[in-house]
This record gives sequence, C-alpha cells and structure tokens, in this order.
Amino acid sequence: MTNAELKTDPAKPAQRMRAGTLITGWMPWVIAAIVLILLPVVFQERSAITIMNQMAITVIFALAYNMLLGQGGMLSFGHAVYAGVGGFACMHIMNATEFFGSFPLPVLPIFGGLVGMGLAMIVGSFSTRNAGTVFAMISLGVGELIAACSIIIVAFFGGEEGISGDRTYAQPFFGVEFLQQIEVYYLIAAWLLISALLMYLWTRTPMGRMANAVRDNPERAEFLGYSARWVRFYSFVASGFFAGISGALFAINYEILTEENLNATSSGLILLVTFLGGVGFFFGPIIGAVVFTLVQTVLSLETDLWALYAGALFVATVMYFPGGLAGLLMMHVPAIRLGKGSLLVMPYIKTLIPAGIGILGVCGLVEMLFHLRHGSGDEMTLFWTTFDSHSVVPWLVFAAIAVVGIGIARRTAPDLKDAWNEANTPPKGAL
Amino acid sequence: MVAAALELDGLKKSFGKAEIIRGVDLSIAKGERHAIIGPNGAGKSTLFNLITGRFPQTSGHVRLHGEDLAGLAPFEINRKGLSRSFQITNIFPKMSVFENVRCSLLWSMGYKYNFWSMVGRSRELNEGADAILEQINLTGRRDLPAGVLSYAEQRALEIGITIAGGADVIMLDEPTAGMSHSETDYIVDLIRKVTEDRTLVVVEHDMGVVFGLADRISVLVYGEIIATGTPPDVRANPKVQEAYLGAALEAEH
Repeated sequence: MTNAELKTDPAKPAQRMRAGTLITGWMPWVIAAIVLILLPVVFQERSAITIMNQMAITVIFALAYNMLLGQGGMLSFGHAVYAGVGGFACMHIMNATEFFGSFPLPVLPIFGGLVGMGLAMIVGSFSTRNAGTVFAMISLGVGELIAACSIIIVAFFGGEEGISGDRTYAQPFFGVEFLQQIEVYYLIAAWLLISALLMYLWTRTPMGRMANAVRDNPERAEFLGYSARWVRFYSFVASGFFAGISGALFAINYEILTEENLNATSSGLILLVTFLGGVGFFFGPIIGAVVFTLVQTVLSLETDLWALYAGALFVATVMYFPGGLAGLLMMHVPAIRLGKGSLLVMPYIKTLIPAGIGILGVCGLVEMLFHLRHGSGDEMTLFWTTFDSHSVVPWLVFAAIAVVGIGIARRTAPDLKDAWNEANTPPKGAL
Repeated sequence: MVAAALELDGLKKSFGKAEIIRGVDLSIAKGERHAIIGPNGAGKSTLFNLITGRFPQTSGHVRLHGEDLAGLAPFEINRKGLSRSFQITNIFPKMSVFENVRCSLLWSMGYKYNFWSMVGRSRELNEGADAILEQINLTGRRDLPAGVLSYAEQRALEIGITIAGGADVIMLDEPTAGMSHSETDYIVDLIRKVTEDRTLVVVEHDMGVVFGLADRISVLVYGEIIATGTPPDVRANPKVQEAYLGAALEAEH
C-alpha cells in the first residue's frame, strides 16, 4: 500500500473514485485511438499493414479469451470455434450477394458476434455447469467436434478448401468500398477499439465483478446470492460474442476461412498468446497478441525455427513469470511509485544485454545445427554473415559468445537482485 | 403465531450407512442469538451445511420464516435472507478487501446479472461497501488483496461479507476458531455489533464466547440435540454436563 492511498479522505470514497475514472480512466483509450490512427502513417508498407491487421484481430480474440481464462477462471481448449463459426457465418453473408449488398461492410462483424454468441449459448448451457477440468474437457471435445464437422458439413464449412468471398460487394460505406488494405485496417482498428472498450467496461459491471468472485471462490459466490453457473454462462456468452467479432474481421481481412480457423491448433495458439501476455491484467492479452504476432510474422521471415523460439519464450514465461509479460511490467510499478525506478536501469543493462547476446549465441548454435541437418549446401547466412556451417570455426565462435554472454549475465545477476530489493524498499519511517 | 426465523423439523442426514444427523428439531425465534455447541464430530458443521443447502438432507424439513427450503440451491436460499460464514476462511483472496464487500452487496442491491451499469459509478454501492468496511474495522486495508490480510482480519472480512447482503438470518461457523484471546474478544464484539436486530445462529467451540454471546444454546451430541435452553439452564443440565460440558469446562480451567 502506498502512502498516497492511506492519506486519501476515507469519508468521500465515492467522489474520489469518480474523479479517478474521469482522469485516468479515459486517457489510455484516447492514446490508443491516436496510436491506432497514426500506426499506418508510420508503417506504410503493405506488409506492415497486413501484420497490423492480423495483430488487431488477434488482440480482440485474445481479450475475448481472457474474459474466460483471466476473469472467469475457465480454461478453454476450444475457443477458436466461436471465432471460426462467426467468421464462416460472415463468409456466407458475403456470398449472399443481395443481402450483403444491403448494408455497409463495417456492420458485418455484428453478425459474426451474434453467431459466435449463439453458439456459445448452446455450448455454454451445458459446459459452464463446472469450471476446472470438466469445463476444459468439454471445451476440448466440442472444439474437436466442430472442427471435425468442417470436413463433414461441406455446405457450411466448405470442406478442405474452406469458403471464400468478396468483401467489396457490400454497400459502399461513405464511398469506401474496402478495396485497399489500408481501408480494411481502419475498419479493423475501429472494431478493435470498440470491442476492447466494451470488454473493459464489462469488467466494471456487476457481472464482471462477480465473474472474478466466481473465479476466486465459486462456493462463496453462491452464498452471496449468485449462481456460479449463471455467472460463468454469461461470461462465456459474452466471450463468444467478441470471439465471433474477431472471426468476422478475419473473414473481412482474408476473405477466406478454412478448417484451420476452427481446429485445436488455433485454440491452443490463443491460449498461448493470452498466457504469454498475462491473464492477470486486462491489457495482458493485448501485449501477448502484439508480441506473438510479431514473432509469428517478422521472425518467421528470418528463420524456419520461429515456432521453436516462440515455444521457448512461452515456456520461459510460464516458468519464471506466471503473470506473463504484463505481470513482468507491473512488477516494476512499486519501485517506480517509490521513485526508485532509476536504480534498476544500470543493473538491467549490465545483465540483460550480455544475457541477450548469450541467448543469440545459443540461437546461432541451434540454427547451425538445423542447417547442418536440413540445409542445402554448406553456405549459410546468419546475423548478416555468410559462413560454412560444416567448418569448426563458426561453432567455436557461437559457443564462445553463448558462454561468455550468459557467464557475464550470471555474474551481474546478484547485483540486479540487490538493486531490485533496494528499489522496492520504502524509505525508512514511511510505513 | 409468527413463524420462527429458522425451524428444523425432523432433519436427518446419512452418508451411506453412517447417520450423521439423526433427527434434529429446533426452532429459533426472530432476533434470537442461538449457539450450537457439541463435541468434535457431533455434526455441527453438517447441520450448518444442511440448513444452507450445501448438502441435500436425507429427510425432514428446514423452514426459513415458515417457508420450506427443500431443494433450493445455496444461492436461492441466500436470496431468501439467509447468509452464512465458513469454518475455513472463505473469501475472494485475489480481489481487494473493498471488492470483496462490494460483491457481497450486489445481489441485495438488485443488480442481479447486470452488465450495463458501472459498479464504480453507484454511490449507494460504494458508500455501502465503505460503511461495512468501517463496521468491521478494515477501512485501512481497503485496497489490499484480501489474501494478504492477517488471519483475524480475514475472519472479520468473512463476517463482513456474510452480513453485507442484509440477510436477516446470519449463520456463523466457528467464527473464533484458531484465534488468540484478544482476537477472539475483537471478533465477539464485532459479531455482537453487526448482528443487532438480526437472528444469529453460531457454531462455536469456545465456551466463553458461547455463554457471553448466546440467548439460547443447543447441545448437539452424535447428531441429536440433547438440550436447548438459556445458558444457565444448559449449564445446569446434568445430561449436558455428562456428555460434553463437564469435560470441556475442565479442560478450560
């Protein structure tokens, strides 16, 4: 607890909170809106816009997923189906030319949301009876079931090729026909902002609060007059709605949906993204989606082994920072509040830079091994250098980099730990 | 005649062949502070769980203000005005102390499964929650996660959560278990304060607490109530002395 909180006037808590929401409440959203508007001005390449679209869609999906995992305590292994089915439904609407031509494209995600929500209502009616393992297993089963249907019910899911459509058949929206990638970007960005805001506001409602209560202690919640099952059900349905919106945006962006949008891999991926970002904070999944999409797109251009590194990052996060990247960031808040954040800068530089170089050395060894086994020819290019992966010298160089880098990091780690403790110690007499 | 706040009628519970509650009849008047005592394994907690719908009874009836509670889920019983605490501290550990109390106010303030109003905006809700924090002396702990409070504070919070919803029948399961003397005094004062004008049913081991707090006492031994009466009556009852009190009082002195 900080001193500021102790000194506030407890006689007027309601007023204090209201003022707090007005000032600090809206600022992040205004900043987010400005950033979303400016991003394509800064990153103008087509590929960058493609990446940002994918990122925004993943952010919405991850936030929707975290309504279950982080806020409701429900671990789902099949959440891709709500996004996927919402997307497939939108694809069919796109192909129903007459109906599709009667409204502008930005309205389409609402249909995706409603379909995702409808499916969540059906599945949730029996799956939310319990949280924990039972819920997880039902979600896995239903997910597999629907993914399997994609090959069986060809009329809806289009079999192995999936189904495709054309977003430009919609009624022009103030003259915009969404032919350009950039126009689609702004459509997605607008929906991202709306969805994220709605999902955030949801956490401030009685339902959102009780979702936390049921997550923490379902039995106690029952003795407060709330049925844990209904609380879970409503969270699940709301999550299905926003997942459906992300599916619809996927349909708009890629104009094709396949079995891949439904299967367990996609469901697992969103769990990974959400956990990587951190389930404990609202903005955690946003960080997770941004980082993961970057790894998936940018890193995959550099190396075939990107999935290995993503996996290693995930395992390291789960093991050392169960709060995810958001938790890692928020760990620093107490030190910054104490005004001692600057104490950490030098020790971080001394530890993290050698550690980073050492890890790159390890990555170099891994890449060389991969090239040795699977590459064609002797020549390989790594870190802008071309060399022969069959000769001994580069192996020694990378091994030396790895050993020295990690060795230095291990040396300086105790100093970092001391600095950390110092930065988190309140000045004497303040408590 | 006015219906009793809580009435048990031939209540029985068996787990397999083991009969744990063997026919309990009990009537607790409105506004009464009633304590249930008994040796370990007498079935006190089971009785609590039967009344609050945590387990279904094998036979018999539980009536709250004359209304039969058979087949109702805990949340439905709670909505009818019965609230309970637990023997093992049962709070929402990851939520703030304030949030714990605010959540326990939501249903009684009519929010139900509302997802369109902001809890931060309701003055009634926030001031109500702060008033309860004041009552249970946890205002200074308002924004801490409930899980980091001391044991006695968590118990106080649990009582706060239990009374917050405005239920008129409050059931507390060993509220002073595992507490030091000063903590016990603190909790007993708190209980006395917050249950004013309400019906209180309390299971308790500490005889000092029971005799200080209760208007009437029931002694439960092996799933049956062997005596009910005012503290002096119960103390004088030879059956009680034989079965339980003598041993307990001896142990205390």
